[in-house]
Amino acid sequence: MTAKKENAKRLGIYLLIVSLFVLLFFVCRKLMNESNTAFFTIYYCLFSFSPAIASLITRAVTKEGFRDMKLHLNFSGNLKWYLLAFGLPLIFFSARILLPIIVSGHSDWLSGFKFQNVLTSMFMLAALTAVQSIGLLGEELGWRGYMNQKTEPLFGTVGACLIGGIVWSLWHLPMDMAGWLDGECTFSDSMKMCGDRMLLLTCFGTFLMWLTKKTDSVFPAAMAHFMFNQSQGALGELLSQGGIPENVELGMIASVFEYATMISLVVVFIGLLLRENKRSPKTA
Amino acid sequence: MTGLVYKEWKQNRWFILSMIPCGFAPLLALLLLREQITSVDNIALRIGGLIAGFLAAGALQLLVLRGDDRKLWGYWITATADGYNGFLRVKYEMIFGMIVLFLFSLQFVDMGYCAVAADMGSEDIGSISSIALLLGFMQILFRAIDIPFTYRFGSKKGSFIKLICIVILAILICAVLVLNVDNMDRITEMVRKVFNENNSSLILSFGLIVCLALYYLSYRITCRLYLKGVEQYDS
Repeated sequence: MTAKKENAKRLGIYLLIVSLFVLLFFVCRKLMNESNTAFFTIYYCLFSFSPAIASLITRAVTKEGFRDMKLHLNFSGNLKWYLLAFGLPLIFFSARILLPIIVSGHSDWLSGFKFQNVLTSMFMLAALTAVQSIGLLGEELGWRGYMNQKTEPLFGTVGACLIGGIVWSLWHLPMDMAGWLDGECTFSDSMKMCGDRMLLLTCFGTFLMWLTKKTDSVFPAAMAHFMFNQSQGALGELLSQGGIPENVELGMIASVFEYATMISLVVVFIGLLLRENKRSPKTA
Repeated sequence: MTGLVYKEWKQNRWFILSMIPCGFAPLLALLLLREQITSVDNIALRIGGLIAGFLAAGALQLLVLRGDDRKLWGYWITATADGYNGFLRVKYEMIFGMIVLFLFSLQFVDMGYCAVAADMGSEDIGSISSIALLLGFMQILFRAIDIPFTYRFGSKKGSFIKLICIVILAILICAVLVLNVDNMDRITEMVRKVFNENNSSLILSFGLIVCLALYYLSYRITCRLYLKGVEQYDS
């Protein structure tokens, strides 16, 4: 079997296992609704580790072995990339959320952003990142540590970013569809949420893919993923301390910054990935 | 480096895995003292179990340091490509990983307990995860103190010297307090001023960062002291 066929087979098995977990999530919904807490907690923990579990099962089933799981911390020489993993999601979401507020002339809404509050949030995020980001290995070991390695030789770098983002966001489908299935929102609302997430995760995925390739470790990606989740909450908390009126809409300006930040992220990191591919020696 | 990771895993895997049952300590405390339970919440009992788990996990984390205080091993590891710096780095990373594993186990058990209690109709049950997080950082701080002593003086002598240092420190603090007994009100007021409602979260988050920084500093200190310690092993 050629290397490409072997890769495709491994990727197929991996995706099949991940989709089974997603399917199981939908099947278990009734049970979860009956016992919305304990069962949900247990299954949710299992589900959040499903990409890593799928990669381990695939490695075992296909006898690929457990080498090259990118589980070394690789701190030496990569400290700056760890710092980038911490800082970039924060900058990304600050630009996405805060810039439209400032540009539209509502700086008074940012009254919660006092030096002391911002410093507290930063310290707390840094401390939590050190001890809790390891939990995101459950996803990163699968997406960046396995799937991207298989998709890149098959579909190229841009294809790997696109497919990676789409699969990553489809994996979140049970969460996106929960509102519609519970009758709390319409189907189109759920689809819109899914589409927005797909766009955001595809863009952010390029950064995580670049980070993993640059450091040859999944830990910086796990850290960046943790910061991706937490920085939105931290900014939201600081914003809530300001005097923002209810049901506020910034309109066009918010969309401009939303898309501009995503496009900048994609352009920069796709560019860097392609440049590094050009530089790396070609193998037969 | 992979070889060192493999060595640590083969030698200490049971200690590493024992962090998971340590996280079940709050649940175990509830099961053992079930006759004294008055309500589902039982926060005091759960915190008691949490502290017991914290102490047990701490003792187990120290056990992974045993067995490396041999002269022959010290010289051999120094001569390898990774050197003693690499060996100590893996040791520090492993102990940090053990603390994180303990923390995850604790938080998972607590989340599960709260969920089961909510299923039983007690939805206002208090979570102890934030206390567990603070204890986790305390554990990082304690290990940052323990490890240099162990590698500088060996496992037995190190813990004895550490004990003496702690006693001396405690005596010094007591002496300072006794000498300032007249100014106690002023000191209390000053402490209250520093730890007021506005500052407390900043001080707390800064404290967490300091714990992490001290852990790294401890690694650098241990690297400096290691060869001096090796000279004294087996004597």
